[in-house]
Amino acid sequence: MSEESASLVKTLRPFHVWALGVGIVLVGEYMGWNFTVAKGGILGALLAMLVAGTMYVIISLCASELGSATKLAGGPYDWARLFVGPGAAASVGLAVYMEYIALEAADAIVVASIASAIFPELQVFPITLLVIALLTFINYRGVVAALTLNFFLTMTAFIAIIMFFFATVFGVVNIHPEYLFEGAIPHGMIGLFAALQFGPWFYLGIEGAAMCAEECKHPSRAVPLGQQAGMITLLIGAAMTLYLCAVLIPTDMLGVSVYPLFEAAQNSGVFFFIAFLGLGTFLTCLASANGCVCDSSRSWFALSRDNYVSSWFSAVHPKYNTPYRAVIFTMPVAIGFAFSGFLDQVITFSIASGLLCYVMIPFSLIRFRTLFPETSSKIRPFVGPLQPYIAYLAIALALTILSTLFWGYKYNLIFAFVFYGIAYFYFSYKQKNSTAENNWVSMGWPEPRGSPKARVSKEVNGIEFGNDE
Amino acid sequence: MSLEMTSELESKYHSKLKGDSLMILGMLALLIGVETFVIGKVLSATWEISSGFSYLYIVFVGLVVGIEAIGCLRVRDSIRNHMFEFRYYD
Repeated sequence: MSEESASLVKTLRPFHVWALGVGIVLVGEYMGWNFTVAKGGILGALLAMLVAGTMYVIISLCASELGSATKLAGGPYDWARLFVGPGAAASVGLAVYMEYIALEAADAIVVASIASAIFPELQVFPITLLVIALLTFINYRGVVAALTLNFFLTMTAFIAIIMFFFATVFGVVNIHPEYLFEGAIPHGMIGLFAALQFGPWFYLGIEGAAMCAEECKHPSRAVPLGQQAGMITLLIGAAMTLYLCAVLIPTDMLGVSVYPLFEAAQNSGVFFFIAFLGLGTFLTCLASANGCVCDSSRSWFALSRDNYVSSWFSAVHPKYNTPYRAVIFTMPVAIGFAFSGFLDQVITFSIASGLLCYVMIPFSLIRFRTLFPETSSKIRPFVGPLQPYIAYLAIALALTILSTLFWGYKYNLIFAFVFYGIAYFYFSYKQKNSTAENNWVSMGWPEPRGSPKARVSKEVNGIEFGNDE
Repeated sequence: MSLEMTSELESKYHSKLKGDSLMILGMLALLIGVETFVIGKVLSATWEISSGFSYLYIVFVGLVVGIEAIGCLRVRDSIRNHMFEFRYYD
């Protein structure tokens, strides 16, 4: 099979979708979310978890509807391209790419740091390179193998949280409920608001589950089922994690902890949980980096397929049916991010990029429903509830969380706005001269409502109807 | 023979749908249980401080659980409506 005729293989099932989404995100429950505690105490962390949870539940429903309708690999990029416009599409495509590639770099460094802590003779630099190269190779060889591996890594890490939680609830572990009151709200009401900026850590990247829609056997079942199962998993994991850490680690230490769940296990004094949560921390970082290679490569592949970046990257491997050039290209970029020396800035840029997507995904859904109001199974096999009202709520929550980045990350936010603003105008200008149009017919869809062709078709039908009369 | 096969296939589909439904219901029940437990514990331990703005937590937990539950029921309906058309369980 030549590269031109090869296409992405359609073999993925709902558990692969779950593994991709939860695999990327679960690392945020093992580390990172606890910065909410430093800003707003336990009550701030709880509010951030619920506010961000509301936004992500809605984003997941939007992604389920859009992913099962379009069945394309680019996810948020393709939705913006089809329903919003080229400038927005390119900005979102880049935002998704940056979000996942920055996370991959951070995950690889953490895996290397853990390996180096266990075996001091190992150095962080070569292990980071090895992890990035190994995961790139697995993704090069095939998406099924990559996501099946992710399923086992993620499930092990999630089971570790569940067992630790129930052991704590049933009294196997001694807890300190007084920590809840002592660190409830150290910085007052403003802290509650400021804590929102780290709320996305609990769920950052779950929308990426829908990015494997083009490779699913039955996307209209696999995407909504896998995505919603993933969202519930994260909501459960987030609540369990918050409780465990809040009753086992004093608040002032929790706010600055690097591995809070592992530290909570250490404070429990039970060897089994120390070993299991340590293993969970390691595995969840690997799973996250693995999922990030998958999603960032699909976003780059989709950008390349539509000539936003060089079409050279859109080749599909004739044997493995993977977008192998886009997969391999993640490696130098991730290595560049990993050794830039500004990892915390890179991660904040990743969050800002994610929040841009969380504005554009519900907006794409609103546009989709306006352009294609039909609910036939061909166009919209999964119809999400309470739309478009909850889509507007998600946009408002994303903008509110984005605004809280002004506390401490003002320049990152300004840089992100400038970066994506330039991308928007550059790609809008570049695509203005392009004659390429969305081919709705090839998707089996009618012309969108209000398009010139749809109007002509309507007029022709009207004339024919008039003649008949 | 053909009718027998169809009814066999139909019962297989309904049994698989039941499996999907049970998984969704089980996860939703666990979600509601865990959220209620954790929020209850945190708010009761901090009631002296949080009583003035506890409605924020109740509103947002209601939104999270309510929207997710309705969303999951829609997923189940969608699978039930299209399972034969798209041959989900072949």
